[in-house]
Amino acid sequence: MKIRLPLEKRRKLVSWLFLLPATLLIAGMSFYPMIKAFLLSFTKGFGKTSEFVGTYNYQRLFQDSLFKTALGNTFIYLIIQVPLMLILALILASLLNNPKIKCKGLFRTMIFLPCATSLVSYSIIFRSMFALDGFANSVLMNLNVINKPINWIGEIWPARIIIILAITWRWTGYNMIFYLSGLQNIDPQIYESAKIDGASASQQFRKITIPLLKPIILLTAIMSTNGTLQLFDETKNLTNGGPANMTISISQYIYKLSFEYSPQFGYAATISFIVFLLVAVLSFLQMKVGDKRD
Amino acid sequence: MKRKLLSVTLMIAMVACLFTGCSKNDGSSKTGSNNAGSKTSDQVTLTVWCWDPKFNCFAMDTAGEIYAKDHPNVKVEVIETAWNDIQTKLTTAVTGQSNTLPDIILMQDNALAKNIINYPDAFFDLTNSGIKFDQFASFKTALGTVNGKNYSVPFDNGAAITCYRTDILEQAGYTIDDFTNITWKEFIEKGKVVLEKTGKPLLSNQAGSPDLLMLMMQSAGAWVLDENGKPNFKDNAVLKEVIDTYVELEKSGVLVEVNDWDQYVSSINSTTVAGAMNGCWIIATVTSAADQSGLWGVTNIPKLSCAGATNYSSQGGSSWLVCANSKNKDVAADFLGATFGGSVELYETILPSSGALATYLPAGESAAYAKPQDFFRGDTIYLKITEYASKVPQVSYGVYNYEARDAIGTAITKIVAGTDYNTAISEAQKELEFQMGQ
Repeated sequence: MKIRLPLEKRRKLVSWLFLLPATLLIAGMSFYPMIKAFLLSFTKGFGKTSEFVGTYNYQRLFQDSLFKTALGNTFIYLIIQVPLMLILALILASLLNNPKIKCKGLFRTMIFLPCATSLVSYSIIFRSMFALDGFANSVLMNLNVINKPINWIGEIWPARIIIILAITWRWTGYNMIFYLSGLQNIDPQIYESAKIDGASASQQFRKITIPLLKPIILLTAIMSTNGTLQLFDETKNLTNGGPANMTISISQYIYKLSFEYSPQFGYAATISFIVFLLVAVLSFLQMKVGDKRD
Repeated sequence: MKRKLLSVTLMIAMVACLFTGCSKNDGSSKTGSNNAGSKTSDQVTLTVWCWDPKFNCFAMDTAGEIYAKDHPNVKVEVIETAWNDIQTKLTTAVTGQSNTLPDIILMQDNALAKNIINYPDAFFDLTNSGIKFDQFASFKTALGTVNGKNYSVPFDNGAAITCYRTDILEQAGYTIDDFTNITWKEFIEKGKVVLEKTGKPLLSNQAGSPDLLMLMMQSAGAWVLDENGKPNFKDNAVLKEVIDTYVELEKSGVLVEVNDWDQYVSSINSTTVAGAMNGCWIIATVTSAADQSGLWGVTNIPKLSCAGATNYSSQGGSSWLVCANSKNKDVAADFLGATFGGSVELYETILPSSGALATYLPAGESAAYAKPQDFFRGDTIYLKITEYASKVPQVSYGVYNYEARDAIGTAITKIVAGTDYNTAISEAQKELEFQMGQ
């Protein structure tokens, strides 16, 4: 005997069936490792010989000066780089959205192109560009801006600035594409009527573009915050955390703990959970501040 | 009509792509089954991970050929794997309990103690495998010995040497003999004269790299960890002398700091500096500037003034280990014993073309080692270095070697930048104690 479900229920069942493969994959590939890592953060010991220690690793964090340095560095990148990049992307996007500009496609491609480069190779290129006898120093010397080569990577703030510069170069175009697609959705009539009312370009930008782009700005802000908190390739390859660990990022410290030092997987998992918490808290704050729809 | 034609063409193109894709797959699956077939017979394939195609991979290939003469059923397959990748894969395989490791891996000496002590079950104990460990330089076998068990077969030599540009020394009125068996004080004084007369510093060093400091520490038989493996920074007189010497080298301009390895290599090859001090594998870098043939000379390193100081040390170098999970571990052990631990022929073959210097002492007596090297003004440098290797003071690097090296590297960066010695060193000690205190 066949059980006949009511139409409504059958429909629901079918939609759940469609969701099932993706749900299972995400649960298996993403949530299961996260739970495992969470459990791992309560253990200590090298590799196989691990034992349960409760919140010991979390208490340990507070005495870890290198963790504090890494956290501080990551926040420096976050506070300076994310706003800088988003503002730059916004400006570029509204410039390139101007219907009067010629060769728009070319400019858009040029600005987006850095996103297609590999993280490791562009970091290495930046490192060689800012070497003592590198491109940046020879240009500045030839222009007589400086009379002695600057040790970019050997000093704390120049090294941090190079990293910020590198990330900005790599990711501005990526965010710009989001803004561009958002701008396409804004009705040109709004701008036209604003123009008729005598609004200047900067007024249009502040009063029309930014408010209407808000959901997308929020999205890019959360994505960039998330990306910066997980910064790894750039610091590893550009400065390798130096000088004296003053540019090391949290992720690089996690890598060190897992693979360079005697492996402390429990402690490394603890730190990655702190990153997870930070991302969650910061995203929540940004949503509260930025999204006033409800 | 046009549309139909287009779609038919596209369909044909897609189907064609599909077929070419298939044929490619066919090819790879065939080679796969071939490999599987060879395993079923008496054939043994030893897989090896090592990282330098011109150096250790080449040596391993040569060893495989030599061993195959007597054991035609044994084939050695070298898989080029960067050292950092070997470490990552090793850690992952051992902690994840997956069997993804090869039969033999090459390991940096710096990481030997760390990996053997953390994962004693991961490596095959070679103590009773018939390998004659007493025929290797003792400081090398000591690195791979844990609780009286030998786990590693020493490979390349890391004995410290100093290479000098003799033509630049001559301009300052010195010969290489003036830089042989000297102290660091004399080195700095003479270095200042060279700098003044020729404008060339004697040495370059990667900023923040602890290599040179560790080399100096070992030359006095001292280390940054005490015999119980505890950090020993604060009241370590040798460390104090080493750091003071380094700071003086840097301040006087006799040593210049560069930012990365590429710049270090180029500072040597482009004559920014008049010398290079490192493990003897640096010879490969020095000789790569072929136009400087006949200008370089090799001698030992300066010594410190503390008790136990010598003119000999070690930096870098690597050793072979057999993985305990290997199905052919006895074959692998016999292979290593017969080649790297018993074949002078092997070392004679790899020396001229790769400069791979042995810590297998009988190899030092072979004719290849006694051959004068034109690049080094006809000097028999390989005999010299083999002799240096036998005099290197023995130290135990310990499990926390990488942590300790990092702490020292951070401290020296701070001290060179102007931080007070005691502050930087106690911070370094605290950091290391934290890493070790889990």
